[in-house]
Amino acid sequence: MNKIFLFISLFIYSSTFSQELFVFTEPASNMPSRSLGFRDMNGFFLEKDGKLNYHNMPEIMMGINKKFMLHAQAFISNRQDGGFETEGGSLYAKYRFFSEDAKQSHFRMALFARASKNGADIHQDEIELQGHNSGYEAGFIATQLLHKVAINSTISYERALDNKPNYKFPPTQSNSAMNYTLSVGKLMLPKIYTSYNQTNVNLMFELIGQRLNGNQKSFLDMGPSIQFIVNSQARFDIGYRRQLYSNMERTAQNGMVFKFEYLFFNVFK
Amino acid sequence: MKKLLILTVVLFVSVLVNAQILKAELTATGLTCSMCSKATYKQLISIEAIEKVEPDLNNTAFLLYFKNGSAVNIGDVKKKVEDAGFSVGELVVVFNFKDQQAANNSSFTLDNNTYTFMDTKAGTLTGEVKVKILDKGFIVDKEYKQIAKTSKQYPSYATINKNTYHIKVL
Repeated sequence: MNKIFLFISLFIYSSTFSQELFVFTEPASNMPSRSLGFRDMNGFFLEKDGKLNYHNMPEIMMGINKKFMLHAQAFISNRQDGGFETEGGSLYAKYRFFSEDAKQSHFRMALFARASKNGADIHQDEIELQGHNSGYEAGFIATQLLHKVAINSTISYERALDNKPNYKFPPTQSNSAMNYTLSVGKLMLPKIYTSYNQTNVNLMFELIGQRLNGNQKSFLDMGPSIQFIVNSQARFDIGYRRQLYSNMERTAQNGMVFKFEYLFFNVFK
Repeated sequence: MKKLLILTVVLFVSVLVNAQILKAELTATGLTCSMCSKATYKQLISIEAIEKVEPDLNNTAFLLYFKNGSAVNIGDVKKKVEDAGFSVGELVVVFNFKDQQAANNSSFTLDNNTYTFMDTKAGTLTGEVKVKILDKGFIVDKEYKQIAKTSKQYPSYATINKNTYHIKVL
């Protein structure tokens, strides 16, 4: 396993990076107008006590128009004692306000906002609106595509609220944070296109960081991933997330992510 | 009398329309991958007047075939590419002309769209002729700015009107 990881890492480092459908972050680009997407994220993270946490996050995505898109997501996990439980849900909106296109390249900027509700216990310093905390987030995304390489960066402000009805946000912890990401990706295959049926392979490498506003605690994770795009319409991602550095309490920071996504075009009039 | 009038009008119009759009060569900008190309393809194929779309993935280009006798609005092509999330980098339209007079600043109307010649040698056009659309949104921004700067002799170019296009015979 370690050898495989080393190989993938070396492969990524030795090449310049991939396309922009990132695994751990969202690009500034939108999905096509009037399209509908389904995504299912499966995360396996090892807890400190040896227990394997499984998070399932099904998601519906809608391209309202060329500039505006909406996501609705549910959070299911086995973290609670009662077995599988729906812990909450989230709404995400993204507005692309700048777009400059040239031959096989673009630069885009977008604003996004997320509101999440979660009823699970609050057990770590890290604020995570996808599957852990209730709260809201607002931020800015910039994406540059240069032929087969895409670079993406996000910065956002995040505020955690009580996980109603049972869990108050602990007053000893910082309830707000700044998040920042830097992602690079590269289209590896095919070298030359012949049809929409060819499977595309993208390699990605992402850095995901958070800094808590109340106590200046922070972490930085890395997320290498490989992505397969089948029939130019379905997407399958395998990602690995590992903590590089942290001085905050986190319970299950390292793990694997498997994501499946399918896009339906021209669904709405 | 009324019938005669209608017949006269129809005859007059049919004489006026001596052009037809057959095909168009579109180059889209802002994309590389096949998923983006397919999104664009799916948008284009939803245009009523389009019969067939042939994608060229390596050049992010599309060859559009229009249905015989259908009213073609090239503004739809731009809108659909933008709906997919991208832009038109170049649109070359293939007209089938029948003794069409061409001269700079002269115009003709087809299916409620007005086409004005720019940067074109005066003469008579017959058969399949390729023309490039020069309006904003149909060429890359840099090229548009350059043309806008040097096209004072084409007063209509600076004003962006829906259903009014400026064409250059290639």
